[in-house]
Amino acid sequence: MGNGTSTFDIVQHFSEIAGRLKEDFDAHVWLVEIFGRRHSYLAGEKEDTFLPPEIIKISDRYALVSSDWAKIPIQKRDEVISFLKEFL
Amino acid sequence: MLEVLTEREKTYTKGVIKEREIDKFLIGGRDFINDEEIWEKIGKNAHPDKEKVRDIIEKSLEIKTLSPDETAALLNVNDPELWDEIFVAAAEIKKKVYDNRIVTFAPLYGGNLCVNNCLYCGFRRENKAIKRRVLTLEELRREVEMLAGKIGHKRLILVYGEHPATDARFIAEALKTIYEVKVKTKNGFGQIRRVNVNIAPMSVADLELLRDVGIGTYQVFQETYHHETYRKVHPDGTIKSHYQWRLYCHHRALEAGVDDVALGALFGLYDWRFEVMGLLYHAIDLERQFGIGPHTISFPRLEPAANTPYIQETQYRVSDADFKKLIAVLRLAIPYAGMILTAREPAQIRRECLPLGITQMDASTRIGIGAYADRYTEQESERQQFLLGDTRSLDEVIRELAKMGYITSFCTAGYRCGRTGERIMTLLKTGKEAIFCKLNAVLTFREWLDDFASPETQKEGEEIIKKELKEIKERMPDNVYQKLLEYYGRIKNGERDLYF
Repeated sequence: MGNGTSTFDIVQHFSEIAGRLKEDFDAHVWLVEIFGRRHSYLAGEKEDTFLPPEIIKISDRYALVSSDWAKIPIQKRDEVISFLKEFL
Repeated sequence: MLEVLTEREKTYTKGVIKEREIDKFLIGGRDFINDEEIWEKIGKNAHPDKEKVRDIIEKSLEIKTLSPDETAALLNVNDPELWDEIFVAAAEIKKKVYDNRIVTFAPLYGGNLCVNNCLYCGFRRENKAIKRRVLTLEELRREVEMLAGKIGHKRLILVYGEHPATDARFIAEALKTIYEVKVKTKNGFGQIRRVNVNIAPMSVADLELLRDVGIGTYQVFQETYHHETYRKVHPDGTIKSHYQWRLYCHHRALEAGVDDVALGALFGLYDWRFEVMGLLYHAIDLERQFGIGPHTISFPRLEPAANTPYIQETQYRVSDADFKKLIAVLRLAIPYAGMILTAREPAQIRRECLPLGITQMDASTRIGIGAYADRYTEQESERQQFLLGDTRSLDEVIRELAKMGYITSFCTAGYRCGRTGERIMTLLKTGKEAIFCKLNAVLTFREWLDDFASPETQKEGEEIIKKELKEIKERMPDNVYQKLLEYYGRIKNGERDLYF
């Protein structure tokens, strides 16, 4: 994890980001930690829209998952990914 | 007991338990199983009135974990009519949380070396009637080729005894090997997509090793929650004699980031009502400390094993009637948890218990070491931990399930897209996971029918798929249904592993 941040910090930060994405775009996004095939939930939305999940890797260890990427403007999505890449 | 261990085994035995990894979870120096309190609650809630029982059933139908008092009241019901209401509620809860799908899996016994000496276990160290063996990685690969390539399983429970030859590093290699196997099938390819493990309690560091290679669920049974009985059946000087090391292994798994854990008790070692309460207290403590309850619960009954007279001697054997009651009460008490009924039980009992809230079953089960690749069909007690009650093939079981109105699911989607831990708990408790269950059941069942079904099972399977698609069309938003149809078509054309 970069910048000396802890898992607790990540969860806090990402929960806020996920909350805003839900509020602004009605998009459910969650952060997972990757362990081989296992993608364990770490933070973010717990609700879902029942469509196939699309996984975007942030690093070897972390990924974002959502069925709602199409609802989020590309610029905003890239902004979130860049921010997390720096953070993780 | 220790003097019969080799030097390597002795060193291993001394190094496993880490008291500091237990102490942090204790409350006032005690574990969460208070034997007196459990008996006091069972006694206090004797003869519950009908109204009270019906209120408890209502609470359970809202997918809320019951309190120990409420569970004790259910265990004390005597009125057959009330039991019928409990059984009906159990079926309803299962449908709410998981819909009408049954997930299937196979056990894969990788080795039966064990440093422990549990009185009820065919694999106990001092049992000379058992042939000892650990599969090499190449032998393991051959087992998986059979399971994934010929039978069609997608999910395994990998089982090992507790031994330095099959420690966490070895099991991590085994997991990697299993995940690597990919076999050509009639219309696509077969692969094991989720490997759950039933192994000894481990330290956080060892559990992190397994986490890093993509472990599915970490399953450990407490065997009995009753302290005194536990001491009696697990001889002093063995690792397993440490009650709390075992009791808190799921806590350690969650701490290590393995956020799918499975509980179980071996029914027949002590009073079945006490064990049900023990499982409930266990679930409550996990929820309290981590916000995550058990992914599944198992409730095996003691079965005969080679040269294991303890099994015949126990005074706590559970009758079929009580077995059904304990399944239904567990379904109501911990309504979000998956419930596993294995092939230990005879086919008829499995048939009768299925509607009481069962979510997972094994089939084409072989529990001898190396038994799948050896293709032997007769049970051999000297190769097995115990004797199976149901040796039917997966094809036969699936056909029967379809006739009973259940769709077989090979879904392994959840743990590959973050439907784990707190998130899966939320989805289960709100009944939303059932939607994923149904969609993924249709897709994975389609795969299996196209790759492995006999003509008779194919016929029954097509009927159930047709019914499921119709139901989804009526109940789900159109965009979800359309996406399902797209994936369904792609699977029919040979694509595999598409999921919601």
